[in-house]
Amino acid sequence: MSPNAGQLGLLTVSVIFFAVGGVLSLLRVFRQKPGLRLPAKICAYFGIATSLAVLIWHARMRGSWYPLEDNFDALIWLGVLLALFVQYVQRQRPLAGLDWFIMPVVILLLVAAGIFGQISPREYIDSTWSIVHRVTAYGGAAVFAVAGATGAMYLIHNRRLRRKTIRPEFEFGSLERLERFSMASVTLGFALLSVGLITGVAQAIHMGPYTRLGSHWMTQPKVLLAFAVWLIYALVLHTPINPRLRGRRAATLSVLGFVLMVGALVAVQFMPGGTG
Amino acid sequence: MQRLLLMGLNHATAPLEVREKLAFSTTQRRCALRGLRERFPGAEAVILSTCNRVELYVSRPTHELPRPEQMVDFLGRFHQLHPDQFSPHLYHKANVEAVAHLFSVASSLDSMILGETQILGQVREAYDLARSEQSAGLVLHPLFQRALAVGKQVMTQTTIAEGQLSVASVAVDYARRIFDQFSDKTILSVGAGKMATLVLRHFAQLSPGRLLVCNRDHRKAEELARRFQGTPAAFEHLSQHLVAADVVVCATGSSEPIITAELFEPLRKLRRYRPIFMIDIAMPRDIDPRVGELEHVYLYNIDDLQQVVRQNQSQRNGSLEAARRIVEMEVNSFGQWHRAREMGPMIEQLYARHHRMAQDELRRTLNKMPELTDDQVAHFEDLARRVVNKLLHDPVQRLRNGQMPHGMQQTYVHALEKLFNLDPPTTPKQDDDAEGPSAT
Repeated sequence: MSPNAGQLGLLTVSVIFFAVGGVLSLLRVFRQKPGLRLPAKICAYFGIATSLAVLIWHARMRGSWYPLEDNFDALIWLGVLLALFVQYVQRQRPLAGLDWFIMPVVILLLVAAGIFGQISPREYIDSTWSIVHRVTAYGGAAVFAVAGATGAMYLIHNRRLRRKTIRPEFEFGSLERLERFSMASVTLGFALLSVGLITGVAQAIHMGPYTRLGSHWMTQPKVLLAFAVWLIYALVLHTPINPRLRGRRAATLSVLGFVLMVGALVAVQFMPGGTG
Repeated sequence: MQRLLLMGLNHATAPLEVREKLAFSTTQRRCALRGLRERFPGAEAVILSTCNRVELYVSRPTHELPRPEQMVDFLGRFHQLHPDQFSPHLYHKANVEAVAHLFSVASSLDSMILGETQILGQVREAYDLARSEQSAGLVLHPLFQRALAVGKQVMTQTTIAEGQLSVASVAVDYARRIFDQFSDKTILSVGAGKMATLVLRHFAQLSPGRLLVCNRDHRKAEELARRFQGTPAAFEHLSQHLVAADVVVCATGSSEPIITAELFEPLRKLRRYRPIFMIDIAMPRDIDPRVGELEHVYLYNIDDLQQVVRQNQSQRNGSLEAARRIVEMEVNSFGQWHRAREMGPMIEQLYARHHRMAQDELRRTLNKMPELTDDQVAHFEDLARRVVNKLLHDPVQRLRNGQMPHGMQQTYVHALEKLFNLDPPTTPKQDDDAEGPSAT
């Protein structure tokens, strides 16, 4: 179901909150104004609250409280989960700079929800397989966003340490912590994506040529990209066995995997029957 | 008259690669001082060699040797280097400029890390060594004693050294940027000297899983290990220790790199490509710079760490200005004292000669005036003395306090010697003046 003007307006407010929060967070560092930490945090929480309000409003309008029932719903959920994750990490054991990398992804997801929610308001849920598939695939994407962000942070931090151009205001925590964080995200994301792929494949086999992807579903870009992502993260998970991959290489693969994951998400929106 | 010369290079004029080639170990400094005295018997010399600078202070009679080019030649010969390899990085100062430079060095105003206190100890060590080699004499004794006093005065009377970041604390800070926790990490110290102790003291506060101390002299390794609840490690098994280590602190006196790329490259696989933080604070360096180019290796040398300290240190403008004022004042005070000390005998001769002449002429005149009473004779004598004093007052004052350049002062002195047929001044005995000018 397409979102109405009010929901889109509220979603825009949410995007503005996240954007302002991000700008304040950057200003806090660039202008060295620690007092901006609280306003930045408040903006992020307001962004989350307004996004949740959009979801509730949309669910009421739809008359169903199942999450991820359509495109609009799924993308907002993904954004909210990521934003909540950042807040959780920053509260438990802050990883400086994480919000700079993930908040832009959150904003992009909300903007994408506003755009694609209108042009392809497809309903998703048609079976239990479908529910599991979508929850795990989107959950995997959210976790891979974290892996990609921490991978990018690792690369930047590593480059600065090697070039000896560390600037105290741009602290990203230690390399070891970033690596551990990235590996944990990859492990969780890989598990979720694996389940997502298995259920997706099972659904496609079960429905045969009647699936929205058609009889040649295996060659659809979305499926190929999802498999590529799976393979890349499988390689990253291989690091403890092949330590030559650790560090910069694993971080680069994490970023690459996330970029491909974004490609898969875009493909979902544009491919014929892409959401199926 | 004595001429003071300074020839040297420092962190601002020469990269680490050049500085380490010219660096002197304690033994080398002794040899160099002896060599200098043999080659230039009339000269005094002090060699200051730290991780940031190599400076050769020489004092010699004005028209004697060595000249700056001979000092360059001496440095090159001693280190078996062609002068072209280092001479573009050298600075050369003389007399007041050299004094001002030494006072700034001792006050840490010329240090890479403003306000660092280690330099004062290094200046003292350089002076003590020269003293034990009897290469510091009438000029360098008071000069270095004064420099040490000025350095101390700056450290105590200004806030320049307050809140000072040290190289060791920066090294720990960098280690924290690489590793999250240290309870499962091994810290290896290669070397058991002062610098290694300083850095280990900071790392020990991180409560590392293991702390290994590896030194050629096993007894010293045991001593240092005991101090930080670490384990002494055999120097012969350095490769094995490098496999186990996560942080390596290198601070030995070796003249050649101990950890080369050829040694470390094969160890990476055995280390399972774990990251390693290597701190090389030795001079010359203990770790081949190519090791730092290897993946998973984070190599920081003394310049890298000091650079960070310098970037992070607050401007301390107030204390910096105060420190500069103290140095400037002390340079002037030392200059005046030194001039007075050098010219004293000549000025004495000048006065004595003129008074003698005046007395002779007066006596000749008085002989022709026998009717004068004793009081009147005394008046005439007083008159002659006052005339001489008044005539000589201005030129002597100018010579004593003169803000004239050294060359000009020399010319005046020579002119006086020639015009008034004075003997060249002899330098006063060391015992009288060894303490130098009193502290202000």
